[in-house]
Amino acid sequence: TELRLSHQWSTNDIRHKVAQMVADEVAAADVDLDIKIFPSKSLFPATEQYKPLSRGQLDMTVLPLSYAGGQQPAYNLTLMPGLIKNHDHAARMNDSEFMQRIESIMAEDDVMVLVHGYLAGGFAGKDKCISSPDDVAGMQLRAAGKAFEQMLAKAGGSIASMASSEIYTAMQTGVLDGANTSSSSFVSYRLYEQVKCYTPAGDVALWFMYQPLLMNKDAFDDLNEAQQEALRAASANAQAYYLEEAKKEDAESVRVFTEAGVEIKQMSAEEFDAWRAMATESSYKSFVEDTPDGQELLDLALSVQ
Amino acid sequence: MDPLTLGALVALITIVVLFSGVSVATGLLIVSAGFLFAFDGLRSLELMPEVFFGDLNSFALLSIPMFVIMGSAISSTRAGADLYEALDRWLTRVPGGLVISNLGACALFAAMSGSSPATCAAIGKMGIPEMRKRGYPDGVAAGSIAAGGTLGILIPPSVTMIVYGIATETSIGRLFLAGVIPGLLLMGLFMAWSIYSTWRQQAFSGALEARSFSWKEKFEILPRVLPFLLIIAGVLYSMYGGVATPSETAAVGALLCLLIAIIIYRLWSPKSLWVVLRDSTRESVMILFIIGAAAVFSYMLSSLYITQTIAAAIGDLDVNRWVLMALINVFLLVAGFFLPPVAVILMAAPVLLPVITTAGFDPYWFAVILTINMEIGLISPPVGLNLYVINGIAPDIKLKTILLGSLPYVGCMILAIILLAIFPGLATWLPNLVMGDAI
Amino acid sequence: MILIAVLLTCQMIWVRKINNASTVWQTETVIYLMIAATLIGLPYVQRARGHVSVDLLPLLLPAKAAKALSMVTLVAAIGVMGIMFFYGLELWLVTWEKGWRSETVWGPRLWIPYLAMPVGFGLFILQLIADLVAVATGLDTLHTDERKH
Ligand code: NA
Ligand code: NA
Repeated sequence: TELRLSHQWSTNDIRHKVAQMVADEVAAADVDLDIKIFPSKSLFPATEQYKPLSRGQLDMTVLPLSYAGGQQPAYNLTLMPGLIKNHDHAARMNDSEFMQRIESIMAEDDVMVLVHGYLAGGFAGKDKCISSPDDVAGMQLRAAGKAFEQMLAKAGGSIASMASSEIYTAMQTGVLDGANTSSSSFVSYRLYEQVKCYTPAGDVALWFMYQPLLMNKDAFDDLNEAQQEALRAASANAQAYYLEEAKKEDAESVRVFTEAGVEIKQMSAEEFDAWRAMATESSYKSFVEDTPDGQELLDLALSVQ
Repeated sequence: MDPLTLGALVALITIVVLFSGVSVATGLLIVSAGFLFAFDGLRSLELMPEVFFGDLNSFALLSIPMFVIMGSAISSTRAGADLYEALDRWLTRVPGGLVISNLGACALFAAMSGSSPATCAAIGKMGIPEMRKRGYPDGVAAGSIAAGGTLGILIPPSVTMIVYGIATETSIGRLFLAGVIPGLLLMGLFMAWSIYSTWRQQAFSGALEARSFSWKEKFEILPRVLPFLLIIAGVLYSMYGGVATPSETAAVGALLCLLIAIIIYRLWSPKSLWVVLRDSTRESVMILFIIGAAAVFSYMLSSLYITQTIAAAIGDLDVNRWVLMALINVFLLVAGFFLPPVAVILMAAPVLLPVITTAGFDPYWFAVILTINMEIGLISPPVGLNLYVINGIAPDIKLKTILLGSLPYVGCMILAIILLAIFPGLATWLPNLVMGDAI
Repeated sequence: MILIAVLLTCQMIWVRKINNASTVWQTETVIYLMIAATLIGLPYVQRARGHVSVDLLPLLLPAKAAKALSMVTLVAAIGVMGIMFFYGLELWLVTWEKGWRSETVWGPRLWIPYLAMPVGFGLFILQLIADLVAVATGLDTLHTDERKH
């Protein structure tokens, strides 16, 4: 049996490695299951993968679930400022009632999770540090995700949308004063050449994005028991690897930025709370308004300790 | 069927279908649908509109219609004639001065327009009749404009560089800068050839009369070139001065061109504005349709695992990197004979780029090489857009004469490719200077 | 529509630079305008013979065979546009029924931009059919005349 897995990342990316690991282990299990990976958007544009997945035209993908927030508003909770504090907290999230609810919503679209995983990110400013909401007033900012845009706007920043690949030039020419993106993007786009101060994901971080390896449920059900078992076993190993590597990426970004002479400013617990208050009045509020059972889902997510 | 055989079959059928007179975009869709249905079943066919829409759903693509508007707004005014006239008055003493001023005008115009046919049309409308009137052979007159027009996609802004940037996720601003020096180099080579061939012709016939202009005449024309400089300065400022991202800059340029066309050249009748918008809509729709169709085509290639297999095969070729580069050049050249630049870049760039970078070549340098190959395609049959534009401007010059006239310029381009291979710094020095070392 | 897109993009840069304000809805609007203009422009450009094509085979073939070939390609074109139209329509219906929105702060309903696909490809089919009829009845001499010089 051949399964097709599409994703948008390059082959050096941790998310590709997670997919590759599942594919390799399944192949090694010798259960007549072959996972063919199409990396770097070679099959579908980045944001156009959930639809074919749910309609069975694609078997597997690794993607930020919030990309499908337009189809299932509840998914927007998987990229919400301040819901998750650090990677261990994120791992506890995966076993929570909240995640069960999200998975039951996926099941409506005929989608299931094989590997849970989060990546974290931080903020960087061209001329000054961005660690508390007071810092962003009057700045031109690029944020990753709509909930972050809403929160930053609430804090007095202005939002310019652009692809992460454009941040470097935009900062260089002065279109942007600051940006929020993932730890790995900060490094791979060499933003340390442009910024003065970096606020990484540390003991507390605002930006966590849920990026699971998903599979079409019918495709999974069509497999025989040995194949399903091999897939589950490989996924469990990949999930452990994913968590470790995600932590390493944050540390690696701090190392690279420090080496480049960029000032590192950790976010304090008080600043985290101030951001969360800001988010409560902006992104949380608009999420609850737009989503059926929004308040209940939000409370469930906030209740995970 | 193994993917390589399948790939050969796709290539063969694509060529036949594209030669059948069907439009390029439609042809690509037909081939894609056929192969998807035959080898991948219905579930892939269902996805065609989604892939098409998803690919066009990109902000960077928006700069294409914008740069097209820039070109057609300006080419509908007297601006091209003014520019050309000014250069002519200043360069009459040089042997082959008229040809040189035409090429200079092409280069300057190219700095505003992102498209080669637009450059060709704008300068050619004025330049070709003038050159013929003053005794230049038809071949030189038509050839120099056809070749000069190709500078439109090398000197920034450039529609094809944008397409390359999108397809390979490279920085568009950096790509633009990489094209500047090679563009000027090409212009220089074109000029050198023109002087040489005019000098040779003169020795035979002496038909080229010299004219002279007074200093007064030389200076009074200068203000009429100002609008050009204004547009170029405006675009450069907004791109590198922190006003807008490269993809947004196109809108600034388009608006500037429209405003200048309306205010300075009094293009305010709704009818003539309508013509500008109609022509640019026509060209943009054509390009964007090819882009969407090429997305479906590359989805098909990828879905049938052809792209991946070919890339792996090229990667496994155990040859010297320069042999590899030469092979790639031949491939691009042949593809350029048949297909418009945008289509070639969309299909080839994503496949070739990993191979290129693995072999240690710079992706920005390669973009310039690729673009010059595409320029050759623009002035070579059977699909040579510039040839047809010239044919449209000067219908009484035979296509064959145009073609023979532009052949020496093809030689100049091949020389430029060789020079770039020996001195890669020609392409990489300026972007590194302005934007720091490449990522 | 493209003109509106130009003006909107400039307005966006202006708002960001001068008023230092957020630009949320402009980016998306201009992209959708461009897509709509492209799709709805297809039939017009077909009529104006604005799509690039390579007439190599028809030039090599005798007139009768060339005519047959052009009918075959037109039928194939109609077929493939039919696929684009049909699945485009289906996709549009899904976005409409499920109330899908785009994943941005502005979050417009996706059925609006997706509507351009069935409309554009539908009109394109009609134009292609008109072309087919013209070729079949021999009205399309303009095409062949142009090529002679
Ligand atoms: Na140009
Ligand atoms: Na050609």
